[in-house]
Amino acid sequence: MVPLQVLVADDEAVSRTVVGAMLKKAGYPVIYATDGEQAFRTLDSEAPPALALLDWEMPGLQGPEVVQRIRKKEVQTPTYVILLTSRDSSADIVQGLRAGADDYVTKPANEDELIARVSVGARVVELQAALAERVRSLEEALANVKALQTLLPMCAYCKSIRNDQNYWEKVETYFTQHSNVSFTHSYCPNCYERFVRPELEALEDARAAQEKLRRG
Amino acid sequence: MDNAPVLDEAVTSALRALTSPGEPDVLAEVLNLFLTEVPPRLARLRNAWAAGNIEEVHRAAHSLKGSAGNIGARRLHGVCAELDAKAKSGDLAGAAALVDAVGVEFGKVESAIRRLLAAG
Repeated sequence: MVPLQVLVADDEAVSRTVVGAMLKKAGYPVIYATDGEQAFRTLDSEAPPALALLDWEMPGLQGPEVVQRIRKKEVQTPTYVILLTSRDSSADIVQGLRAGADDYVTKPANEDELIARVSVGARVVELQAALAERVRSLEEALANVKALQTLLPMCAYCKSIRNDQNYWEKVETYFTQHSNVSFTHSYCPNCYERFVRPELEALEDARAAQEKLRRG
Repeated sequence: MDNAPVLDEAVTSALRALTSPGEPDVLAEVLNLFLTEVPPRLARLRNAWAAGNIEEVHRAAHSLKGSAGNIGARRLHGVCAELDAKAKSGDLAGAAALVDAVGVEFGKVESAIRRLLAAG
């Protein structure tokens, strides 16, 4: 499993560097933001980091505001956000969690605690990603099942099937596209008698006629 | 408080141990950042105090407390925490002495850092 990327947002270089070094030592690729605006832009991008450690107090946008903003956008696997705070009153913590943060760590961060909480976050993100993938594949399977449950228009003579795009397809093509069925071609005993044997006999006759001609 | 170390060795060794193989020494990097970042903030603190801007005093003391805590500057952290609490509550008795103490304690931390960096 590829280690998940972590954003560290803190306007204080000392704290940012220490937290970043803790994460790097634990094997996480780290990216940085030096204020709330930059953190928001990174988290709001097309490929946001899986995890983020946001300092509570930053000039401009504060940690909780950053979370509140990114939570407005619906995404399949939301970034797991941990607030870094030197506040430890429960009212503050409740406010941070209500804003949409997943967890908080008090500053200065204790290395073991920080890494343990980040790995909980990584677990949650991975679980969520696995669930999202499962849902996606189930939805795809369901769509196929639905397609196969409908009434299929079939040509009474050549057995072609009319697909959703109003186009006539071979049975094999249609089922290969709409299910996990694949076909291997063979013949049944009846068709052997009816088609294969006469063809083989015709071939044999043709060869004999040619042989006769060659010998003169 | 007076018995607290200027620079807690447990914290500085922990910072040194954060260095990943092939990367620059985290302790030296963090201490250098501290030396560049803190003086302007100290100036901001003094100016805010002189101007009677208590909100700014609170902000500056709070951020200094954070940086001091990160490098294990226990005594500096202690005076910053006191000033932070006072500015937050608005009870400014003794705050002037604390503003001075922050400067004095920073001076001690600075010397300790320079010794440590020189020792390598």
